[in-house]
Formats: sequence, C-alpha cells, structure tokens
Amino acid sequence: MPLPTMAHSSSSFLLLPASSPPPPADASAAYAVVVLNQRLPRFAPLLWDRAQLRVCADGGANRVFDGMPELLPGEDPDQVRMRYKPDVIKGDMDSIRPEVKEYYSNLGAEIVDESHDQDTTDLHKCVSFITRNPPGSEKSNLYILVLGALGGRFDHEMGNINVLYRFSNIRIVLLSDDCSIFLLPKTHSHEIHIERSIEGPHCGLIPMGSPSASTTTTGLRWNLDNTSMSYGGLISTSNIVEEETVRITSDSDLIWTISLRN
Amino acid sequence: MAPRPAMSHSSAFLLRSPSSSSSSAAASAGGGPDADGAAYALLVLNQRLPRFAHLLWDRAQVRVCADGGANRVFDGMPELFPGEDPDEVRRRYKPDVIKGDLDSIRPEVKEYYSNMGTKIVDESHDQDTTDLHKCVTFITENLDIPNKSNLCILALGALGGRFDHEMGNINVLHTFPNNKIILLSDDCLIFLLPRTHTHNIQIERSIEGPHCGLIPIGAPSGTTTTTGLKWNLDNTSMSFGGLISTSNIVKDESVTITSDSDLIWTISLRDHS
Repeated sequence: MPLPTMAHSSSSFLLLPASSPPPPADASAAYAVVVLNQRLPRFAPLLWDRAQLRVCADGGANRVFDGMPELLPGEDPDQVRMRYKPDVIKGDMDSIRPEVKEYYSNLGAEIVDESHDQDTTDLHKCVSFITRNPPGSEKSNLYILVLGALGGRFDHEMGNINVLYRFSNIRIVLLSDDCSIFLLPKTHSHEIHIERSIEGPHCGLIPMGSPSASTTTTGLRWNLDNTSMSYGGLISTSNIVEEETVRITSDSDLIWTISLRN
Repeated sequence: MAPRPAMSHSSAFLLRSPSSSSSSAAASAGGGPDADGAAYALLVLNQRLPRFAHLLWDRAQVRVCADGGANRVFDGMPELFPGEDPDEVRRRYKPDVIKGDLDSIRPEVKEYYSNMGTKIVDESHDQDTTDLHKCVTFITENLDIPNKSNLCILALGALGGRFDHEMGNINVLHTFPNNKIILLSDDCLIFLLPRTHTHNIQIERSIEGPHCGLIPIGAPSGTTTTTGLKWNLDNTSMSFGGLISTSNIVKDESVTITSDSDLIWTISLRDHS
C-alpha cells in the first residue's frame, strides 16, 4: 500500500529576507525558535526574525543575550537585545545568569520556572510547551527550529535527537552552523526540496535507533535501492545531493542531514 | 545464555602522568606502553583540538593525523603552550603519519611535517569508508606498535561538526567492536560497549563525570542492567522514541553494564585547569 507523501522545504526559513513571502508550499508555515545552551549559529538573527514565537531553554537565554549583539556588531548592543527578546524562558533556571533573567523579565519575557524533571530534556519541555501554545493559526504548518541542540555534550545531543522521535508528528529541525537534521518518519514517503543556495551538497541518511531493511532514494549521487542500512553496516554519510528534489522511502525512521553553506 | 566475558574500561590515559615533565622527551622517542600494559594510538581528525590534546599526545606511542587534522595540530599545539616558541612546540608535537586524501591539509603544513620526517600516506578518495575508518584500519594493520594486542585508539575531532561525519565516526566504533576506540572532545568521551561482553567501567572522578549516558544508537535494547549510576537500569528496555539514558550521574567508582544490545557509553569530562 503506498505511503502518504510528506513534503519538506525546511530551508525556506533560511532564505533572506524575512519580509518576503515564503514559498507557496509553506504559505501557512508558522515558526517557533528554541535556543538551547550553546553558542548561537551565525544565522540566528535570521531565524529569529522569521519566527512567531521565540523560546530560550534556561542557559539559551545567556547565549541570546551575549550572542545577538556579537552577530550584529554594527549596532548598539542594548538595541539589539531589545529587538531580540525571547517570548519565553523555560527550564530549571540553574544555568541562566541572574542579570540576564532580570533583564529579560523586565522586558516582559515570560519566565517559566520548573522543577528539575529527569525524564525529559530541556528540548522536550520546550517542544511540549510550544505544542500547547502554538504560534500562528490552527491551520498553520508548525515548524520548530532548534539552535544549540547538536554538538556539545554527547548525551545531550542524543537526548535532543530522541525528542524528534518522540514528537514524530511535529516538524522539528535541529540546526547548527554546519548542518541541519530532521526526522523522516517511516509512515510517509518523503520529498525534500533542496535550496542549493544555502544547503548541500553533503548529506546523509542515518538509521538511528534501529536498522532499516529497505530504503530507496532518488536525487542523490549514491542512491539507495532497496538497500539495508544499520550501525555496524552501511549508513549513508558524505553523500551528495544531485537534484533539486530528493525522494526517500524507508521501512524505518531515518534522520536526514544536510550541510549548510557558509 | 552462557555467561559473557567481562571487559574493563578505564580513562586513566587522561590523567596527568606523574613524570609529565619528562614525558615530552619520552614522547618524541615514542615512549613505551603504560604500566597498565595498554598501548595508545592518537588520531587527530579535522576539528579544533581539545584543551588536553597535548596530554594524550604525550601518552601515545604513535600519532596519526587524518588530512586536515595536521592543520589542527600545526595551528593548535602552539596555542596550548602560549608561553613557548611555536616552532619548538611543533617539533615536539610532530605527527608520525599523515593519512588521507590530502585535500584539506595546507601545502605548507604538509611540507613542514614532511621535512621533519613525518610519513605522508596519500590515498585515493574512497566513498565507502570515512577518514576515521581508514585510519583505524591503517593503525591496526600497518603500524608497528609495541603491545599492539592491548591497543587503544584515542580519536580527537570525531564528535561535533557535520552531523553525517559524526555518525559515520560512531559507525566505525560499531564496525570495529573488537578494537578499543575512544572518541573525545572538550566536553565528553564516548566508546562502544559491545553486547558480547559485560562491562566494568572504572571512573576517574578527578577528570570525568558526573554526567553520563547509555545510548542504543543502532538498535533498541530489550534489556539493560547497570550498577553504579544514580538512575540504574534494571532489565530496562531502551530505544529511540522511548527511553534512552541521558543526563545520568555516576555515583560509584565503577559502573557495570550488561545489555542485549550494543550501547554507546558517554561521560562528561571535567574542566582541565
């Protein structure tokens, strides 16, 4: 039985400028940005401008406070901070600097203090919050764009990727300076529109969490054809996008990753 | 099920050796194996050096750079010794081998090390294996290292950066389950716990912890049991989409783990000041 198709044009949020209308496929897209506790990538202001809801997880607020003025060096730091003010700061509050918390609190940011819950990561808590308080209208296609989820402590990175699996019905994209990743649920066949001006050419398909007995792709330099993938065997890394659309069908959930251009 | 053999793990290689002042002389001569009988090979991939890179370099019997990793050593080692003459530092921290496509290494870096006697191993671009895979094969098959049967490969620059590279590097751990390969960064280290063994991990509390995790990265685990952690697993299932053990805490001086599935162990590294 054929699987329903899921289209991805996630990089549309990385295109300049925020004021121009998004591509037709995402005319109803609503974006939430989550900032975790790692150095901001260079395109953070761009995503922030594009989003309708901005959430910092605890120490992510420090990163916004310090990092946004650094990314906009020609401007007055306080002006930048007022412009790039989080809507919500959520977490244990054990990493956020007191002066940063006070600064944003005074500017009207909602501070959601919560008890330390070992069962869920900061990202999980933020995604739950966003799903309960989604930006845009009921008909909007929600994208949650996450900064600071990759690299750093390995268990944090894995916990963050697990959030993609646990919220597999929500479009969540993890971004860094080097690359972006998102989940391709096995319930759908996937069409990924490649924005060649900002992403690629390096890409990969990762059977994280369980092997894939059969994956088929088009649009890559080394396409898979009913190919098995597993840790200990083949996984698709250092592949190259060849066409404007990449299609993927698999019997298993896969992580798609593509490099971001400078 | 027949009882599995035990495998022991220790991060003692991260401890400052008692004779660290003389170890640099020993290092340039390719000092002998440790008192624990382990032989270490250090592998540097193309990312910024962690702050303890020189400690591992001193500890290792052989040092290999994968292509652009040579740039990182050339630039990064003098930065770890800011009071010293950069050329002196570079001479002291000279790779034994530089291996790879050689499309990332800067020409002047390649020439510098070549003139100092570093072996340059040029090879055709092979899409089926990552730089780490090629280097592991090279180290295990070609290099003449004393005590090779007790060889531990320490890899720098394999975590973070491009996600497909990182995953490809982790796949190398699964592809070589019989080799001890440890991936290290400033923040943490990771290695494979093959399901064929029960595991005993000695925790060096002065340099690692307290945060740790167990990740069923390739396949779910039907049952894993641990001791020594704050939140131990007891015949617990783990999988992506369900529970994986992250932000756990080491409590005892040794942690034991038994699982029906290959797991990745990870532990945070303390700030080396």
